[in-house]
Amino acid sequence: MKRKKGVSYAKYGYIFSIPFAVIFLIFSLYPILYTALLGFTDFKGLGTKSWHFLDNPFQNFILILNNDSFRQSLSNTFIIWTANFIPQILLALVLTAWFTSRRNKLKGKGLFKVIFYLPNIITAASIAILFYSLFGYPVGPVNSLLIKLGLIDTPVYFLINKATARGIVAFIQFWMWYGYTMIILVSGVLGISPDIYEAAEIDGTTGLQAFWYITLPNLKTILLYVLITSMIGGLNMYDIPKMFMQGGPDNATLTTSVFIYNQAFSGSYLYNRAAAASMIMFLIIAFFSAILFYLLRDKDAIERRKENKRMRKAYKERQEAEKL
Amino acid sequence: MKRVLSLLLVVLMMFSLVACGSGSQPANEANNAAPSTPAAEPSAAPSTTEPSSTKKIVLNVWSFTDEVPKMIEKFLEMNPDFAAKYEISTTIIATTEGAYQPALDQALASGGKDAPDIYTAEAAFVLKYAQGDASQYAAPYKDLGIDVDKAITDAEIAQYTKDIGTNGNGDVVALGYQATGGAYIYRRSIAKDVWGTDDPAEIAKIIGPGWDKFYAAAAELKAKGYGIVSGDGDVWHAVENSSEKGWVADGKFVMDPKREAFLDLSKELKDKGYHNDTQDWQDAWYADMKDAGEKKILGFFGPAWMINYVIAGNSGETFGDWAVCEPPVGFFWGGTWVLGSASSEKKEAVGQIINWITLDTTEQGLQYMWANGTLNGPGGTKDTVASGKVMGMSDGTLEFLAGQDMFEVFIPANQFANGKNLTQYDETINLYWRDQVRAYSAGEKSREDAIKDLKQMVRDNLDIIVE
Amino acid sequence: MKKNKKSQSVLFKVVAYSVCILLVILSILPFWIMFVNATRSTFQIQQDALSFIPSKYLISNIQILLGKTFDPLRGLINSTIISASSTLCTIYFSALTAYALVAYNWKLRSPFFTFIMAVMMIPAQVSSIGFYQFMYKIGMTNNFLALILPTIATPAAVFFMRQFMLASLPLELVEAARIDGAGEFYTFNKIVLPIMKPAMATQAIFSFVSSWNSLFLPLILLTKSEKYTMPIMVSLLRGDIYKTEYGAVYLGLALTVLPIFIIYFLLSKYIVEGVALGGVKG
Repeated sequence: MKRKKGVSYAKYGYIFSIPFAVIFLIFSLYPILYTALLGFTDFKGLGTKSWHFLDNPFQNFILILNNDSFRQSLSNTFIIWTANFIPQILLALVLTAWFTSRRNKLKGKGLFKVIFYLPNIITAASIAILFYSLFGYPVGPVNSLLIKLGLIDTPVYFLINKATARGIVAFIQFWMWYGYTMIILVSGVLGISPDIYEAAEIDGTTGLQAFWYITLPNLKTILLYVLITSMIGGLNMYDIPKMFMQGGPDNATLTTSVFIYNQAFSGSYLYNRAAAASMIMFLIIAFFSAILFYLLRDKDAIERRKENKRMRKAYKERQEAEKL
Repeated sequence: MKRVLSLLLVVLMMFSLVACGSGSQPANEANNAAPSTPAAEPSAAPSTTEPSSTKKIVLNVWSFTDEVPKMIEKFLEMNPDFAAKYEISTTIIATTEGAYQPALDQALASGGKDAPDIYTAEAAFVLKYAQGDASQYAAPYKDLGIDVDKAITDAEIAQYTKDIGTNGNGDVVALGYQATGGAYIYRRSIAKDVWGTDDPAEIAKIIGPGWDKFYAAAAELKAKGYGIVSGDGDVWHAVENSSEKGWVADGKFVMDPKREAFLDLSKELKDKGYHNDTQDWQDAWYADMKDAGEKKILGFFGPAWMINYVIAGNSGETFGDWAVCEPPVGFFWGGTWVLGSASSEKKEAVGQIINWITLDTTEQGLQYMWANGTLNGPGGTKDTVASGKVMGMSDGTLEFLAGQDMFEVFIPANQFANGKNLTQYDETINLYWRDQVRAYSAGEKSREDAIKDLKQMVRDNLDIIVE
Repeated sequence: MKKNKKSQSVLFKVVAYSVCILLVILSILPFWIMFVNATRSTFQIQQDALSFIPSKYLISNIQILLGKTFDPLRGLINSTIISASSTLCTIYFSALTAYALVAYNWKLRSPFFTFIMAVMMIPAQVSSIGFYQFMYKIGMTNNFLALILPTIATPAAVFFMRQFMLASLPLELVEAARIDGAGEFYTFNKIVLPIMKPAMATQAIFSFVSSWNSLFLPLILLTKSEKYTMPIMVSLLRGDIYKTEYGAVYLGLALTVLPIFIIYFLLSKYIVEGVALGGVKG
């Protein structure tokens, strides 16, 4: 009886997904299909009314993959993302451990948590301008500070150096997003049942051990969310690199998204190539997401699902047997 | 959730108080009437008092700042008959984020009731709308009921303004109201100290014509501890417009020798210490306008707006110690062009407005008010305008220039400006080029690599053949 | 032994507080600079973009701001309508969709989830143009709904809700409600949503902030002055690079950020207390 009910509930899965599906079909399907299709066409230029599929459907893709600026942007994106994400997740984890530590209660941790998210609420454009003036040359706050401290004699042209420019972009990203990551992680930790920790404490586990053996494994689903969204956000990074130095100096902060934007809007309106580049990025991101999903897969859940399937199958068989 | 909603309400109320409080200041009400109130109310035409029973015809105006829309408001205010028949629906999209062009392109291509009747373009992208990919949407001025050839001659419109606004068929489709021919804006006291004179005619002969003389002057300045410009960006605008060819011709990338020479000009400035190595629009550049930089700087290149909007306000103690003279090479910089849509069904009305903005040389015309700074009442900013005739009628003396009449320099400056070397790719390629030149003069890469990398970037990002 | 532990704890506190205070300074600094610059004149800002000392040009900046196409009240109302509705749509429907993905066993469940994830991965630059063209064709430019309705399908938020539900929604509770004869929709609204409240508050902050700050789509979709949002108005102030009034721009930015500040600190109670999951005790 009970099992039968369980099966009939499946329809609610469909019903509750309807609003999402309908809105998606109306608003997002067209733009996405449009993007996916354009990559195979000769659609470029302004006011172009007609377009055709190319004889060699992958011509745009080949052009993009052979495009030096695209390759450069790809490696920039990975460099900047890694340089911002690793410190970001580490700091977020450390802060999470501190703020959720049962042994060392930090005073004012609530206020700290709230304040650390603040950099995320200013628009990217303002932040880009702020950092550009910070590193101004020949006169700028960082230069004057270094000269005052006697660390340098003449002002340094920070932003003409590729590594520095990339470093600053990575730092801005790090600084804007560590608070966000921390908030999500903290809330994930607080979702872990306190009983587990209590039991561990009785066993004499240290704080570090508890974090390593209890917190992290139980944080898996949330960690997966953080990793996947950071990766998607990081590989699609656009605002800061675009507004900080327009991808410069010498393409050092050109990310793939800025490259895609430039293809489409910087003069030649190469919509087809921009679309092809978008699809290439999509495949790359999907590939890495799949790896993350695989690495952080919930083994128990898979077991459960298999179990479910077996039961359903058995149930069906039994029903059929009954019919006979 | 309830709490959030109630908070939102509180915030709303707070802001309405703030807004009402400041809105009641009479000074503000006078000049911000239309754009801030919903267009549903007939506030767009404050001069018409009686509610007209017939529905007004709507003219769609698209622009990237509120400058032109405000002019059109003024036009409606001055022409009640026109205002009784037409009303203006304004669309302003900022050029930040690169949003103006995609949206305008889409609206022009799609047509319909929201499609623009009048639209504007900035110097950086006007070519696209006047001669380039989007030129098919622009109506020739003669189709708008304007006797354009005669009017241009009568008004003595600068040649470059006309060249830029003329499409492939030889029809004028766009003209500006502002003239942006450039000059060299320099410090009198420094000139006196080095050459014993601050007379614009004399100084023009010392710093030009040609870059060789300019650099010779730079060496003399350097000997006395002065710089000739603030950064290499100052020189670039003059270089860019003095070249014979633009970046692209017949779909092929072209490197004009004069533009290539900017590499050497920039390097020389840096190596010999002729400037303070600033970047235009950055803090240090502004600081050089009031002697706050490493060494004092003789001058800046720029059109009249450079004096009004940039240098005068930043000059501090040096206010009044300035003069303008002819630059070593002629150039122009910036400006807004006004276009009418070819598909508009209200061409006559569009023509009247455009004519008033770009070609009317009377004292009731826009340009006269613009030149004398009287558009929003007396005491406004004086600026150079496209019509030489209007400038001749106007007074360009400025306290900032110690009483010099800037129009005497800027009227001929407009003739030296050349509008034939622009392309729709300039904004993008200039950005790449400045980036490469900066790297070269800072010693980050070789001259060959700078050129090679520029070509690579053009090849990678634009649909242009690079050889 | 005990002493050792104590000194360890002191050391921990010294390190932790130093790091936190440093981060606090880094977080507050840009706001301070923004508010200070709102009181400085354009020329002061041009010559020295960063200053910690307020100046006396606040009133004149307000006047410049109001003289331009800047109507803070209208911008605030528009931004609030769009952001509040978007946020409500996002959190409610994301929770609903996530619930469908977590609580029910249906055939298309995992393909649907994979699909949602895939949508999230497509770079936005090109597809946003497709979106704009589509909106223009069906005449939904200058219509807030074009910005609000699409948020019903927000893949990232669904993913977020799903992960939290997986971690902490006790399905026994749902079972129990069923046995009591509650309808599925009723169960979702009355039992599941309250449990998800903290997660929803977190998501509400994120989506409100991103909706409030979003610029590109509103900029090209909302072109009539009576529809402008706060960020559009600020970007218009910056539109003319030859004579940008930076004092007014910073004032505009400050006015834009204030409302989010208020919303944020209101919802921050959930961040302070932690988004305690698994709302049911024991």
